Amino acid sequence: MEAAPSIETVVQLGDGDSIREIPAPRLAIWLFLASEIMVFGGLLSCFVLFRIAHGGWDAEAAHVHWRIGAFNTLVLLTSSLTMALACTSAKEGKEGMAQRLRMFLGFTILLGMTFLGVKAYEYSLEFAKGFTPGAGLFWAFYYTLTGLHSLHVLAGIILNTTLWIAAARADLVPVVQRRIEYAGLYWHFVDVVWIFLFPLVYLT
Amino acid sequence: MQEKSTHLAGASLDIRIWEWLVGLLIIGLIVFVMPIPKVAAVSLVFAAAIVKAVLVVRKYMHLTAEHWLLYALALTPVVLIVGMAIALLPDIAFRQ
Repeated sequence: MEAAPSIETVVQLGDGDSIREIPAPRLAIWLFLASEIMVFGGLLSCFVLFRIAHGGWDAEAAHVHWRIGAFNTLVLLTSSLTMALACTSAKEGKEGMAQRLRMFLGFTILLGMTFLGVKAYEYSLEFAKGFTPGAGLFWAFYYTLTGLHSLHVLAGIILNTTLWIAAARADLVPVVQRRIEYAGLYWHFVDVVWIFLFPLVYLT
Repeated sequence: MQEKSTHLAGASLDIRIWEWLVGLLIIGLIVFVMPIPKVAAVSLVFAAAIVKAVLVVRKYMHLTAEHWLLYALALTPVVLIVGMAIALLPDIAFRQ
């Protein structure tokens, strides 16, 4: 199956010889991601500043489970691979594209759910030791940062599930072919946030 | 070898990028558990994180193929955040 022709509005960037047209939804998702960078960047930089101000929080940081965090990092990196493979399948549009797309999207959803399940288990271990969000500034930051990130993973799972269901219908496959790129941009962004969150919270 | 790597595309490139990401994760973890000075360990761990983020953004998010204005769009908030953190450093981090 060939890639579906785009019927989306395009925006012209640049002028003269460097002019390039990009689909308006792609520009919109990058604008959205820029606002998300402000949200996570603000929180992460506040965490770093307060951590320096409070002598590094070494005693508190010793109680986080870095092995569980490392496992979750591997899960999220692998989910980025399956998402990229789903996008590549949609772009190439070869024979059996819809099946491959659904398979890779399915893996991405499962890996996202694995991430959230492991995170919930990790929270239960910390709660059992009394490390609740009210246990101190470090733990307040920890739950805010990882909780907000987990909500973004959940949003990504819902988005991907919508596309996975839509891809089962032959008449909606061309729509999914176009929209999976935007879902992919969001999912990879969530991965990038974790790439910085993991060493900041678990390894320093 | 070089000819082979320059012709990597599609699924093969996606898998190669994932291998690099996992390799960098393992390097970061080895540095973390090794008995080396904390400043050096933290620097190496964050260097690995930056390379991982650049790989994901450029290859998986296809920013390499985009117009420079999209780079500007993505980098502007990063510059603002870093600027804000540097500006607040004396007041918050080094307050007596």
